[in-house]
Amino acid sequence: MPPQANCALPHGFQLDQYRIERQLSLGGFSIVYLAFDQDGIPVAIKEYLPNSLALRKDGEVEPRVPDENMPAFRYGMKCFFEEGRSLAKLMHPNVVRVLNFFRANNTVYMVMQFERGRTLHDYIQKHKGEVKERFIRAIFTRMLNGLREVHAHKLLHLDIKPSNIYLRNDGTPVLLDFGAARQTLALDQPMLKPMYTPGFASPEQFANREALGPWSDIYSVGASMYACIVGTAPPRSDERVKQDTLQPITRQHASRYSPQLLELVDWCLRLDPLARPQSVYTLQKALMQKEAGEAMPASWFTDLGSRLKSFIGKR
Amino acid sequence: MRFTIYQESRIGRRKTNQDRIAYCYSRDALLMLIADGMGGHLHGEVAAHLSVQFITQAFQREAQPALLDPALFLSRTLSRAHSAILDYAFDKNLPEAPRTTIVACVVQENCATWAHAGDSRLYLLRQGRVAAQTRDHSRVQLMMDQGLLDAEGAARHPGRNRIYSCLGGSHLPQIEFSRRTPLQDGDLIALCTDGLWGPLGNEGVVLGLLGGNVMSAVPKMMSRAETIAGDGCDNLSMIAMAWHEDAGQPTPAAVSTQTMALDDFNTRMDTFQRGRGSASGAPNIDLSDDEIERTIAEINSTIQKFNRN
Ligand SMILES: Nc1ncnc2c1ncn2[C@@H]1O[C@H](COP(=O)(O)OP(=O)(O)OP(=O)(O)O)[C@@H](O)[C@H]1O
Ligand SMILES: [Mg+2]
Repeated sequence: MPPQANCALPHGFQLDQYRIERQLSLGGFSIVYLAFDQDGIPVAIKEYLPNSLALRKDGEVEPRVPDENMPAFRYGMKCFFEEGRSLAKLMHPNVVRVLNFFRANNTVYMVMQFERGRTLHDYIQKHKGEVKERFIRAIFTRMLNGLREVHAHKLLHLDIKPSNIYLRNDGTPVLLDFGAARQTLALDQPMLKPMYTPGFASPEQFANREALGPWSDIYSVGASMYACIVGTAPPRSDERVKQDTLQPITRQHASRYSPQLLELVDWCLRLDPLARPQSVYTLQKALMQKEAGEAMPASWFTDLGSRLKSFIGKR
Repeated sequence: MRFTIYQESRIGRRKTNQDRIAYCYSRDALLMLIADGMGGHLHGEVAAHLSVQFITQAFQREAQPALLDPALFLSRTLSRAHSAILDYAFDKNLPEAPRTTIVACVVQENCATWAHAGDSRLYLLRQGRVAAQTRDHSRVQLMMDQGLLDAEGAARHPGRNRIYSCLGGSHLPQIEFSRRTPLQDGDLIALCTDGLWGPLGNEGVVLGLLGGNVMSAVPKMMSRAETIAGDGCDNLSMIAMAWHEDAGQPTPAAVSTQTMALDDFNTRMDTFQRGRGSASGAPNIDLSDDEIERTIAEINSTIQKFNRN
């Protein structure tokens, strides 16, 4: 635990071209704010502020970084840049959109599109024990569209968990927090310090980082689906490797969920990376598989309009 | 497979380039595609980008190393790209789905198969003559078919930009498919947007490609189109591919896919990005102020690329 928490910038603070409304969250690595731009459009701003290296006292603006922490602070800033770099390349409806990046107050800021809604974590807390199968399939199928995009750019997310899956008010999911997407699939990238969340992180994230791949994110997806069903995260995978206490959920939750979904979760949670679904696409196909009587809304977008030939103005 | 390929896209006199172009090949299959996002509509550039990205990715998944059925691939993937655009519009709560033209061509087993919606074109040139060509899904083309308009009138017609089929938008695209067309040594396949064929006309495109050296012909042709179009020059793009017999004479710029691994791909998708300032290298712990500024500038330019204001 850090000895002292960092203080957030106050309400009304003019930060570059944005005005701070309020703090949305405080993490170990950053603070996220709700702010408004010059046109009054709400944005989420993430401030790089690692608790263990920099301290902003109440009433101050610039955080203090002791000389001996400076190299580490700058190194962490590089990691923060990696998050921005990754996100800037990804343009996908299910991945949070970065709008701007700037430097101020001796640190750096990432501006994102502000999403209204709540995290899947909050949703699970509220609906403990009654998260519907249909909901799980719909949310994860769409969230996986975003993850596929991440993998297509040779990136791994490495921190998928319910608190980083955001549910917009219209029900569509968006992947947040690429703080750990620092590890690219390409091997020529320097290895950066891992950040992971026990319970949702794959065993190879703890011990065997050469084995990281799309299947590592798939483990975390499985753990997140598990959390939807059971209400809590599965046992930590580094513990499971020593002694596996995970009960296959196929047996425990058969009354409320179809065997196919439960098997899928167990499949994702296999300790052996090669025994899991190897690509997001495989997992999506399995999630889309129709159960008897449980039709997926695959036809949301079929064209219901008339087929009359219409002329479309080109510019 | 052995071929020479060249692609280029220019912004013309517009503020943004809404054309997207890409080619991608495995050992046994080649995909080429061009999309022209519709500027008057919301997020046209996004529609073009999503389509090209979506189709390229599908190709990489399925061409292992050849597609099972190129025609089926095109029909499935183009209509899925359409749905992906609608999906995007739905997710972003857009009042209407963005739109883009598309023309996509697959070459494998010595045959070409293509599909298109809108007025981006494909030409197949054999010995300096047009052996096949797409028909624009445009109002002026329909009028020409009915004998109401000749080519010259069409080129000046005020409604020449109006098309009745595209990906995205509120109507199902009417995608038109070619037959499976065997290729001969020396055949040229050229895909282009109206920014190129508009100013040059059919003759200009055919003449420009004469001689068969796509590497030098395409840039020259683009400059000519820019000159002719003048201040109103639209975005213009072309991919041109010269097909060589495997046993034919070695050609300097030709690609031979013979030695490629079965699961290997070469992809080029042009997104008009300037070279990245810093290459990935060994971690440089001592991040200098200059580097911070440069990284921020680089990230912002990547963001801008996807952000049409
Ligand atoms: N674009 C956004 N729109 C709305 N809320 C957001 C957005 N980004 C972040 N948030 C809120 O802030 C919280 C924390 O964000 P995020 O997960 O990115 O940071 P973090 O976990 O603090 O990151 P780190 O692990 O790098 O310290 C989210 O759970 C969400 O409630
Ligand atoms: Mg988080």
